[in-house]
Amino acid sequence: MPQHLNGTKMSKVVEVEGLVKSYGSLKAVDGVSFSVDEGEVFGVLGPNGAGKTTTVEMIEGLRKPDRGSIRVLGIDALKEPQRIKELIGVQLQATSLYDRIRVKEAVDLFGGYYRRAIPTATLLEEVSLTDKADGYVSELSGGQRQRLALALALVNDPSVVFLDEPTTGLDPQARRSVWATISGLRDRGKTVILTTHYMEEAEELCRRVAIMDHGKIIALDTPAALIANAGLESKIEIDRPPEALRSLLNQADLPARISEDGGTMLLHTGRSSQVLKEITRIAAAHDIDLESISVQKATLEDVFLSLTGRQLRE
Amino acid sequence: MRILARQVMLEMRLFLRRKDDLFWTLAFPLFFIVLFGLIYQDMQWEDFGLRAIEYILPGIVVMALMTSGIMATASGFVEERERGIYRRLSLTPLKRHTILGGQLIQRYLVNLVQTALLLLVGVLAFDITISGHPFFVWLVVTLGALCFLSIGFLLTGLIKTARAANGISMVVFFMLMFLGGVFFPNELMPDFLRFFSNALPSTNLNDLFRGVMITNLGIDEMGRQLLIAGGWFVGSLALAVKLFRWE
Repeated sequence: MPQHLNGTKMSKVVEVEGLVKSYGSLKAVDGVSFSVDEGEVFGVLGPNGAGKTTTVEMIEGLRKPDRGSIRVLGIDALKEPQRIKELIGVQLQATSLYDRIRVKEAVDLFGGYYRRAIPTATLLEEVSLTDKADGYVSELSGGQRQRLALALALVNDPSVVFLDEPTTGLDPQARRSVWATISGLRDRGKTVILTTHYMEEAEELCRRVAIMDHGKIIALDTPAALIANAGLESKIEIDRPPEALRSLLNQADLPARISEDGGTMLLHTGRSSQVLKEITRIAAAHDIDLESISVQKATLEDVFLSLTGRQLRE
Repeated sequence: MRILARQVMLEMRLFLRRKDDLFWTLAFPLFFIVLFGLIYQDMQWEDFGLRAIEYILPGIVVMALMTSGIMATASGFVEERERGIYRRLSLTPLKRHTILGGQLIQRYLVNLVQTALLLLVGVLAFDITISGHPFFVWLVVTLGALCFLSIGFLLTGLIKTARAANGISMVVFFMLMFLGGVFFPNELMPDFLRFFSNALPSTNLNDLFRGVMITNLGIDEMGRQLLIAGGWFVGSLALAVKLFRWE
């Protein structure tokens, strides 16, 4: 009896243990273990080729792992893949469909494959494709295709949704709209597993993030904790400060390292709020206007850089 | 069962929207029958004691079965596979044999319509008489349809890309057509070619179909042809199942 059916509260929706997958001599996934809590948006972040897609495709049942175990909603995914298909929703990195099928028909078609399906009109409304319902799939733009793929992933009202790079190749506006849909899923208590190589996407949407590189998880935590634990500094920028302020700050004993960048004063610090307080206090005491000051916090991009010595996107 | 019926409907709808498929499976053979009908309208083949068009019509039906069974099946399936359509479908609870069943049934239904249409044109426009029992006509058409569909699916297992599938299935089709006695009797071929021709499924299906259409030979008098055509069906089907792939 799977846990979620016998009444006990189930907190782990996906449990992956020691997953290994090789292609020839390449270890695409090399000992990956993690678990995903019910109702969270879980991000798998990493550069192209890190093993993100291979990992999620093994959980979805598209690929067989060489070693390791996978449980989805308490069901052994390697023993009963057919049962899991009914319960999960998947958006592949690239979804292709028959050209000569209408948008509405495609959603109807997929809905018909499941025991339970959301009405087509409701789904199309949700992904803003209502006005394209009668158009052929081949006539959709890239962003519209992605939204249709998302609708197909949600057609069976799944409790776990896998989204593989759902916003890759989308313009900023379309990306925002996909983000809104994902937030909506989270608000309705769905568990979402999301792969991405956009760190801002992971920061915006995910409760926890696993950072992958070369087939391994190199860090796993909330975005805030990942940044805090990496011991990264924030950067306070003061654009063209008055000379008086510049010398006052240089003399003050601030817990910050000061540098210059073409007239802009940069203060690197792990304690940005304390330094900011000091700066405003000094400025106020000497009646100096602080016109352009900004704080740049460290991002997951910086975390990746500090963990691997490489940029996330090259 | 309901899901299979829906899958057949889907395939049929997609088929009716593919202009190229419609052309090759329906317009192309009709064009041939009309063309040859007009050319050979009154020509007698004294050696065989029949009108040329009587000989050619069954051949064109076999040709039509080959266009949809071999060419359309191989290139259509490989293209959809290459584009990852079956990969996406495999994430749904839909069973793979339902996808396959849907395609087979849809193509078989198209085969029946093709044949009926060609025979109708033959009877109405060119005065063809069908001497055999309709049941045997159906039986031979069904054997032909299954045989060529199996060969078509066998090719999908052997060919990786849609480009190659188009080319290779076309070559197979033309070889089976010209060496298979579609347009002229293989008695006109040199010995070594005729020997080869006699082993082809198209030759034997042509013989069978002409048998039931023209001479009203009993099925029992065509045991050799039945055996060879049936062998091709069973053999290609077994190999097709063995080599079949979804990705």
